[in-house]
Formats: sequence, structure tokens, C-alpha cells
Amino acid sequence: MTMDTVVCKKCALDSKTPGITINADTGLCQFCENYTPLSKEKKEEFRLQMDTLFKSPKKQGKYDVIMALSGGVDSSYALYRLKEEYPHLRVLAVQFDNGFISDTAFKNAQKFCELTKSTYFRLVLDNTLLRDTFKKAARSKDAYPGFAKYRASDMCNTCMSIIKQKLVEMAIHTKTPFIVFAFSPGQTEVPFVTLTKPFMTWIRKLFDAQMKTMGVTERNLYLMDQDTITASPPDTEVMIIHPFLVWEYNKHQFKEDIIRLGWTEPDLKDPNSSNCLLNAYAIKNHFDKYHIHSYAYDQSALVRQGNIKKEEAMKTLHTTFSDAAMKEVQRRLDQ
Amino acid sequence: MNEISKDILQFLKSRGFLDGKNSLDEQVSLTETGVIDSIGLLQLVDYLESSYTIEIPMEIITPDNFDTLAGISQSVMKLKK
Repeated sequence: MTMDTVVCKKCALDSKTPGITINADTGLCQFCENYTPLSKEKKEEFRLQMDTLFKSPKKQGKYDVIMALSGGVDSSYALYRLKEEYPHLRVLAVQFDNGFISDTAFKNAQKFCELTKSTYFRLVLDNTLLRDTFKKAARSKDAYPGFAKYRASDMCNTCMSIIKQKLVEMAIHTKTPFIVFAFSPGQTEVPFVTLTKPFMTWIRKLFDAQMKTMGVTERNLYLMDQDTITASPPDTEVMIIHPFLVWEYNKHQFKEDIIRLGWTEPDLKDPNSSNCLLNAYAIKNHFDKYHIHSYAYDQSALVRQGNIKKEEAMKTLHTTFSDAAMKEVQRRLDQ
Repeated sequence: MNEISKDILQFLKSRGFLDGKNSLDEQVSLTETGVIDSIGLLQLVDYLESSYTIEIPMEIITPDNFDTLAGISQSVMKLKK
């Protein structure tokens, strides 16, 4: 950071980041200036809505919930909390093996499935094709819309999109009404998203176009199956739920709680991920391409909401990654 | 451009969706020109629902209704009635 760089008075965004403007009068970035905190009433409304949904899910298939389980802090805690609050829920926890998940994260995910009596499923796709896709995402520029660059790195956006596509497909196949993602309140703003058939087709088309821009040829492997969408009943709906927009978000507390329950911290030396080895590489790649730290928006939103302190966010965003770790990921990508 | 389109444009600007652009043609596809993706779309829906006190049924969120400023503002106007 240079002497000319101005950091927002409230959050961790700074004037050096493309697209961020700091108002000279208020000292605030445009996101802080336009920020309206979620009212207590609204939060209570969300809590009641989630309670209603989870207390009596439509029993159409074998499961009530598909949980995206990475084995990291947030999703491990979310699975535990979900089953604590709604013990009757039949959960299928899906861990996506993107080829870079740490062994510890696999063990953590399985341990938490046993603990919560959830069904564990490891989603595996062709590793060679996945590596090629991640390399294409790393080399690509502007495959995702402007704002997506603040939300996540191109590599992580690709990985997350694959997970979403595959989980929606699984939900249709298994007639599971809900998918739970443990996104932080900095990563998403909408607690409940109902996917109808036309919307599923639309998000499939959008991701297909994004992958095409990246030069990915084997796209059907990553997309939800259009025939599955088409053949499903007209009223087919899948609801995505983000429980951290309803529950309080306190990562330190989550970590303490899950460690007590047997979760093990992996040796990743990445303050932003406790499960994926690719994450640090993806952050660096994104920063090199766009001069945007892919966690800056998330961390700043958490500061704005009062979930973490600004100093903590600044520290996270200024952590440097070891060359050895970067080279190791590159070596694995090139295998 | 009607008031709703202007409001949407302002939302997109203030939330960083326009990537430096200041204006948008009302008939231009927001998804194909890379302004917005599915997650951004849902943020916009959330904003419109709270700003205009309407409920936007998911079945109307299709490329025909929700991919241009003109289409979105027309949808909002119909739901406000």
C-alpha cells in the first residue's frame, strides 16, 4: 500500500482497488455509504421463515437437505448447528473433491457427518479435466461479470459454480427440497433463493457462456443436466438457504465449538480457507490479474456488519503467501 | 428512461455492477454484456422487493422479463399495480 492509498474509514476497502471510490468528505467507500444494516425485525422474519421451512419439509424423497460441506470451519459448524436445531432433518452432505481439498478437510467432513448422523457423499469429477478448467479460469480475463470479481476469484467462482450446478441437479434427482450453503454474510446478501425450472435453465446457460469464454470445451461435465430439468415436473423447485444470514456469524466462536467437537485445523497457512489448497493460489492469481483481493469485499462486508474488526480484516487481506505453496499448486495443476 | 429504470441503474452503479460504465441502454442484455450474473440478479430482485414493497415471483425471473432494464422495470410496474 502506498502513501496515496486511502482506506475506507469504516471497512477494509481502499482507493487502490479498481472500482472503489472513497468519498473525500465522509472518508467512506461507496459500499459503506450505501449500506443499510439488516433490521432486527427483518432478521427475526428470516429466522421464522427458516424455522417454518426446516420444521416441516416436504417429504418427497430420501433427504430433506443437501448440504454443501467443504470440511472447513463455516460448513462444518453449519452442519452441526443445522442438526442441533433441526435434528429431524435428513441431510445429505456433499463434499466436492476438486483435486485440491486437504486430507484433513476430508477427515473433518466425514467426522462431522458421523457426528450429526448425516449421509456423506464425495462428489468426484474427472481430475484431469478439472485441473485444465482451473488453469483456463486462471488464464481467463473477464469471463465473469464485473461484480463477480469482488465476490470471489475467477478460479473460486468457477469451482463454486460447478458445485451449485451439480447440487441443484442432485436435488432434482433425489427430490430434495433444500440446498444449504454456508456462505458468510459477507459473501451473500440473500438468505433464501427459490430456483424454478426457467431460472435453473437460465443459470445453466449463464455458466455455460462463462465457461465458453474461458475456453472450456467439456462444459456438460460441469453443468446441470438440461434433460433432468426438462423432464422434472413443471412445479419443480429447489430452495437454496444461506443460514448465516439468519444465525449470528462469529467465525472464532465457530472454530472453538467445532474444535471441541473434534474438528482438526489443517496446515494450509491460508487465513481465508481451512479446506482448499487452491484458494491461496486463486487469490494471488486474481490479484495479479485485476488488482483485487478476492476476499476484500467479503471481509469488508463482515466489518461493515460488525461481525469482525477492521484490523482483523486488514491483517487477513495483507497476508502474503509462500512461494513454495504457490509452486506446489502450480506443479499439481500442471500434472 | 423511466424512474424505475433509473433507480435500477443507480442500484447497479452503487453496488459496483457497472465496472466504470455510467449508463446502459434500456434494451441491452444485462447478463450477456457481463453486467450481472445469477447472484447479482438475485441481489437486484431482493433490492426491488424491499424498495417497491412487492413480491417478485421466481417464475417471472426469466431472460424475457428480467434481462434488460426495460424488461425489469416493466415487470416491477406490473407487480406494483
